[in-house]
Amino acid sequence: MQNIVKDFGHFRAVNDVTLKIASNEFFTLLGPSGCGKTTLLRMIAGFEMPTKGSILLDGAGIASLPPNQRPINTVFQNYALFPHMTVADNIGFGLKMLGRPKAEIEKTVADMIRLVRLDGREKNLVTQLSGGQQQRVALARALAPQPKVLLLDEPLSALDLKLRKSMQIELKRLQMETGITFVFVTHDQEEALTMSDRIAVMSEGQVRQIGSPWEIYDRPAERFVADFIGETNFLTAEVVSVSGDRARVRLASGAEIPASFPANTTPSGKVTVVVRPEHARAAPVSGASVLRGTIHDIVYLGTDTHLHVVLEDGTPFMVRQQNARSGPCGYDKGETLGIELSDDVAQILRD
Amino acid sequence: MAISPAEASEIVRKKDIRSRWLLSAPALILIAVAGVGPLLIVVVYSFLAPGNYGDVKWEFSTEAWFNVLLSRDIFDDTVTLADAHLSIFLRSIQLAIVTTVLCVVFGFPTAYFIATRPIHTRQIWLFLITIPFWTNMLIRAFAIQEVIRNEGIVNSLLMGLGLIAAPIPMMFSDFAILVGMTYVFLPLMVLPLYASIDKLDFRLIEAAYDLYASRFNVLMRVIVPLVKPGLIAGSILVFIPALSSYVIPRVLGGGKNLMIGNLIELQFGQGRNWPLGASLSVTLVIIVLFAMLYYVRNASRSGGTHG
Repeated sequence: MQNIVKDFGHFRAVNDVTLKIASNEFFTLLGPSGCGKTTLLRMIAGFEMPTKGSILLDGAGIASLPPNQRPINTVFQNYALFPHMTVADNIGFGLKMLGRPKAEIEKTVADMIRLVRLDGREKNLVTQLSGGQQQRVALARALAPQPKVLLLDEPLSALDLKLRKSMQIELKRLQMETGITFVFVTHDQEEALTMSDRIAVMSEGQVRQIGSPWEIYDRPAERFVADFIGETNFLTAEVVSVSGDRARVRLASGAEIPASFPANTTPSGKVTVVVRPEHARAAPVSGASVLRGTIHDIVYLGTDTHLHVVLEDGTPFMVRQQNARSGPCGYDKGETLGIELSDDVAQILRD
Repeated sequence: MAISPAEASEIVRKKDIRSRWLLSAPALILIAVAGVGPLLIVVVYSFLAPGNYGDVKWEFSTEAWFNVLLSRDIFDDTVTLADAHLSIFLRSIQLAIVTTVLCVVFGFPTAYFIATRPIHTRQIWLFLITIPFWTNMLIRAFAIQEVIRNEGIVNSLLMGLGLIAAPIPMMFSDFAILVGMTYVFLPLMVLPLYASIDKLDFRLIEAAYDLYASRFNVLMRVIVPLVKPGLIAGSILVFIPALSSYVIPRVLGGGKNLMIGNLIELQFGQGRNWPLGASLSVTLVIIVLFAMLYYVRNASRSGGTHG
């Protein structure tokens, strides 16, 4: 996709987006609602025409083709299954419309039903199925014509947590087995991190950062990305020196730490550094402490304990401790403690 | 006074039943007085002998029923099929079916158009659809006459444009009746269809397009099956009054193109054969009943189990 722009009246839903999605890739568009990710998806499907820009599939422009002429299928957010048809008829609909022979349709439908594990449900009306089963019918229906690209518009948002988790694994499995390119839209960062090969984080119609889940999480380039994905601590710092792809920054506490920075930028002067809560360790104040603060609050979450610390300069800072042992965490509110950082965990943001 | 739980629930149950009867009483009385009662009178009259100057003689007779389908020669008592009646029945059924089809053809796009307008303009469109109901049907029939008669709007316009040399005769024909009935009954098709299309999930149409369906297939395989309840309701609402239509064929069909309604009216008027009129009326009710049973059953079968 090149320089895609989409306007709705005076509202610019998608602003100059350029994306290259590799084949067989699980690509995720991640962003808050209203960021333009669904509009982008609808343009790939053909339901919306870009105001400007082009969409290429295997080198051929498809932006002007109607949806029924694109080898692209969609799994809709609400599934949009045909309520007057059986499971098998729903799955076979695309092939039937393509005019495939009956024997081939029957065989593919049978394969699809096995693939999504709905054996024995072929003759049921889709309205008789549970949410998770409907979800799988929607998947099978979109996969049956073997599209080049499968678009998924928040397909898991209507499912409960447990089902969502198992469907995440299922989706990843289906993508591997079919070898089809998946373009997945979600506002759920965990979903994006779990399944994707690459993620594009969007806000206000623009792509903020593209990268692997690890890059997006550990090396956020902008404040928006760092803030939207997971929890994070923002620290102000000053760049001391830059060598290669590492910089040394001086924190407000006076400690100097190494930090990474986004490619194609040269950090200097005052910068914002982010540190993920789980990359920091709370310990008694010692020479290894880079920061110092008082415990403001302790939140116990079962697997983890969150220590909300207020640093000496007043900045809030959170430390996530895994509850490796049972029992209370051993700290009290108001206690002063030092914070140690693992190597290579600080990241400088682009301004 | 002690009441056991069983007795208590029995009392509540009886009270419940009584209040239900009381609540449905107005409807039941109305149906009895305005629906079942008159129909029974018609049935009774159909088994009586005609009076000399209209009305009936109170003696049992099956002569009227005999005359619905058969006719006896005045001179030699040979019995033949009543061709005149049969052909009028057949014509009426044909005209009613064609009217229904025309109403679907014109009504579906109209209803679809309204249902896809923004919510605040929909009210205006629906309002426009109902405006013709404000005017008496007889007056509307004359208005159509004004449009299609030889010196009417259509002919003078075409002649004025030089497209035709002589007026096209349209009045007093089946064509005129169909134009009239389609115009008059169209809202009865549009409104239930609109209600159905309004409930249609337009994402299903997107899904069908996404799965390579052509526009025609989207219509036939997704939209029509899903709006079938509205289609059935609209067809019933159009077919029944079209079949028993009286004013339209009288005004636009002239004297020669009779429909059942006119035939029945004739028996109560000039014909002075009330029992025959009554038996023809009952026959009409029976035809409608069977037509509806047949239609609803077929329609719901071909559409799967939905709707």
